[in-house]
Amino acid sequence: MSEAIEKRIVDEENVARVRDLLQCMERGDEEGAREIVDELANVRETTLYQEVGKLTRELHDAISAFGMDDRIANLAEHDIPDARERLNYVIAKTDEAANRTLTAIEESLPLCEKLESESGDLHARWQQFRRKELNIDDFRELSRSLEAFLAEQHQNAGQVRAHLTDALMAQDFQDLTGQIIKRVITLVEEVEANLVNLIKVAGLPEREQDGPKEHDLDGPVIPGKETASTVSGQDEVDDLLSSLGF
Amino acid sequence: MDKNMKILIVDDFSTMRRIIKNLLRDLGFTNTEEADDGTTALPMLQSGKYDLLITDWNMPGMQGIDLLKAVRADDKLATLPVLMVTAEQKREQIIEAAQAGVNGYIVKPFTAQTLKEKMDKIFERVGA
Repeated sequence: MSEAIEKRIVDEENVARVRDLLQCMERGDEEGAREIVDELANVRETTLYQEVGKLTRELHDAISAFGMDDRIANLAEHDIPDARERLNYVIAKTDEAANRTLTAIEESLPLCEKLESESGDLHARWQQFRRKELNIDDFRELSRSLEAFLAEQHQNAGQVRAHLTDALMAQDFQDLTGQIIKRVITLVEEVEANLVNLIKVAGLPEREQDGPKEHDLDGPVIPGKETASTVSGQDEVDDLLSSLGF
Repeated sequence: MDKNMKILIVDDFSTMRRIIKNLLRDLGFTNTEEADDGTTALPMLQSGKYDLLITDWNMPGMQGIDLLKAVRADDKLATLPVLMVTAEQKREQIIEAAQAGVNGYIVKPFTAQTLKEKMDKIFERVGA
C-alpha cells in the first residue's frame, strides 16, 4: 500500500472519529468523548513511533554501510600519507635534476666562452697572416698558439660533450615523476568519489557551491585555469603596470 | 649600466637563484649575491651596498612584498631599485607591488630577454 493511500485512510478514520467525538459531546456522553480523545492520541503516538523506528533503521543501515566500507579508513591511514611521500619524492627528484643540469651548464659555459674568445683572437691573427702582415717571428708565435689552441679545444670539446650527456641524463626524472603524479591523480579521484558518497550517506543537503577559497598567494597559473583576476603572461603585466603609470 | 653593480638575488629555490645568476652573468653582471628569503636578505641589504634587489614574492619567512615594504621604509634603502620575479599573476597583487614601490615586475616563467628589458628600463629611469 502506498504511503499516500495509507495516509488518506488514516485521515478518513480520524475525520470519522472527530465526527463521533462531536456527536458524543452534543449528546453529553462524556465517557464516550474521552474514549475517542484517547483513541486519537493513540493514533498520533503510533505514527510517531513508526517514524522514529524508520529513522533508526535508516541510521543503522547507514552506519553499517559506512563501517563496511573500510576503504575510506584505508585511504586516510595509508594512501594519503603514501601520496604525500611520493609527492615529496617528486620535489626531490626535480630539484636534483634541475641542479644537475645547472651544474653541467655552469661547467660548460666557461669552456664555450674560452673557445669563443680564443678562436676570435686566432682568427684575427690568421687574417693578418693571410694579408701578409706577419713577420716570421709573429708567424712562429701564431703557429705555436694554434697548436696549443687545437690541443686544448680537443680536450675541452670532450668535456663539453660529457657535460651535455650529463644534462641529458638528468632528464630521466620526467618518466618517474610523471608515473608518480598520475598515481596520485588516481588517488585524488578516488578520494573525491568517496567524499561524494560520504556526503550522500550523511544526507547533507546540497548547497550552492562556494567559490574557491581565497588564498593569500595563488602561485603559478596553470594554462587554461586563468581567471578574470589573473593576468596571463608578461605582456598583460606590462599593460597593467603601464596603465598604472609605470 | 654599470656592469660591476652589486645585485642581491632573493628566492627560496636555489635552482631559480642559479638561473637568475647565470642569466645576469650572461648579461655581464657578475657581482651577485644570494639570499633564500626576506629575513636573510634584509640584514644583507642593510649592511652591504647593493645597487639592485631581485626578489621572488612567495617565500617562507619574510615574503618578497614585505621585503619590498621594509626596503622602502628604510631611509638608507628607500631608493634601491627592486625587481620582482614571481609566479604570482593576480592583478591585485601586481597593483599591490606597484603601490609598494616596485620598479619592475616579471612573471615566471620568463626569458633572458625579459630580464634584460626590465633591467634596462629600471636603470634608464633611475639614470634619468
